[in-house]
Amino acid sequence: MILRVEKGSAVPISSQIAQQIAMLCASGKLTSGDRLPSVRELARELAVNQNTILRVYERLVREGLLEMRHGQGTFVAADSQSASLASHRERLVDELRQLARQGIALGLSADEFHALLSEAIAQLQAPSVTEAEVP
Amino acid sequence: MREIAIELQAVDKSFRNTQVLRGMTLQVERGKTFAFLGRNGAGKTTAIRMLLGLLKRDDGAIRVLGIDPEMDPVAVRASVGYLAEDQTMYGWMRCEELLRFIAPFYPTWDHQLALEYSRDFEVPLQTKIKHLSKGQNVRLGLVLALAHRPELVILDDPALGLDPIMRKQFNRDLITHLQGEGRTVFYSSHLLYEVEPVADEVAILDEGQIVRQSETEALRSDVKQIILSREQTERFADDARVLSRHASGCDVALTVAGAQSVVDQLQREGMEHQVVDLNLDDIFEAYVIGRDESQQETIAADYQSAGTGDV
Repeated sequence: MILRVEKGSAVPISSQIAQQIAMLCASGKLTSGDRLPSVRELARELAVNQNTILRVYERLVREGLLEMRHGQGTFVAADSQSASLASHRERLVDELRQLARQGIALGLSADEFHALLSEAIAQLQAPSVTEAEVP
Repeated sequence: MREIAIELQAVDKSFRNTQVLRGMTLQVERGKTFAFLGRNGAGKTTAIRMLLGLLKRDDGAIRVLGIDPEMDPVAVRASVGYLAEDQTMYGWMRCEELLRFIAPFYPTWDHQLALEYSRDFEVPLQTKIKHLSKGQNVRLGLVLALAHRPELVILDDPALGLDPIMRKQFNRDLITHLQGEGRTVFYSSHLLYEVEPVADEVAILDEGQIVRQSETEALRSDVKQIILSREQTERFADDARVLSRHASGCDVALTVAGAQSVVDQLQREGMEHQVVDLNLDDIFEAYVIGRDESQQETIAADYQSAGTGDV
């Protein structure tokens, strides 16, 4: 598990770590049953306060991404992928709200905004279609 | 009950005609890593020297591990690891000689640990102290502060002489050896981005007063910037929650403490606004220079309105 903490960011350290772990679960790089480093190990590796790491683990346990097994450590939970999607969804809605605000500020109508979003989705889907056609 | 490692209650201190500390009040819980932030000249070093009994206070009360440092400075210094800002040591001794010289003063001195720290911090043990660089001097001071395994460590700007690699190593050691073993760390710093990942709690000192003490994460979620249109900010003109105010065109950015209550109020009143997260540098700046800026702006606004003859 490779994590990176950006110092001086407007995103709090705990959110940075939580988001990165959630992302690793969502993308399948961390899968159910994988063991995470202990609080002490991760704190040392990232040079981050142990209490911060502990709070991140506890938060991800509450969100259903991780589970703590007494005396054994912290593991990726059985249905981590769906749980991580749920937590990502919340953040995505937040970012969409900000984008929408910028759109309104630029004077876009709801229809124009929808059109731009559809266009962006189409652009992302297009290369995956061509990739599938190549072989 | 929470155990308190350091307590200052309404402490005043003046040097001749200059008042350096004005009713400074602060509490540090045992086992916490506590960062003490302030600009140069804010009074950090003065406060720290009082904790060690090196300066007398004019008024107020101080307790360090339950002891009044003015009454029993020796007892305080025996259980506290201290790194001074301008540590001066016997120049003619080699570093290794100094370690052996200091050891008998502390019943809990761990010489093996002293040698380990010396290696980690790249202290040249065979070099005479007068030939050390500034950074090496600070690092030798850190070794002396930590090697007797004190339950409370007070460090006056330990990051000063460390390069980025050593700072990370130092932060790791702090996390593993001090935090991990439940010891209390009280340190001053001006490198806020270094403080944030490590400190449980921070206090901001400005002009001899603590203007804010908070858990690091709680501070980040409590202080935010809110962007409003100029007309909307009028209702916040005398609001104590506003720390700083920065206008640009028809937008005004308010940095507020108690962000949630401000956002709730704006939502109740259906006012368009944007909330921006801040880093510790921004928050610090809002506390220590924000108030001056907003005063200046009020004055500027007064001039402006006087000039246009609207008033």
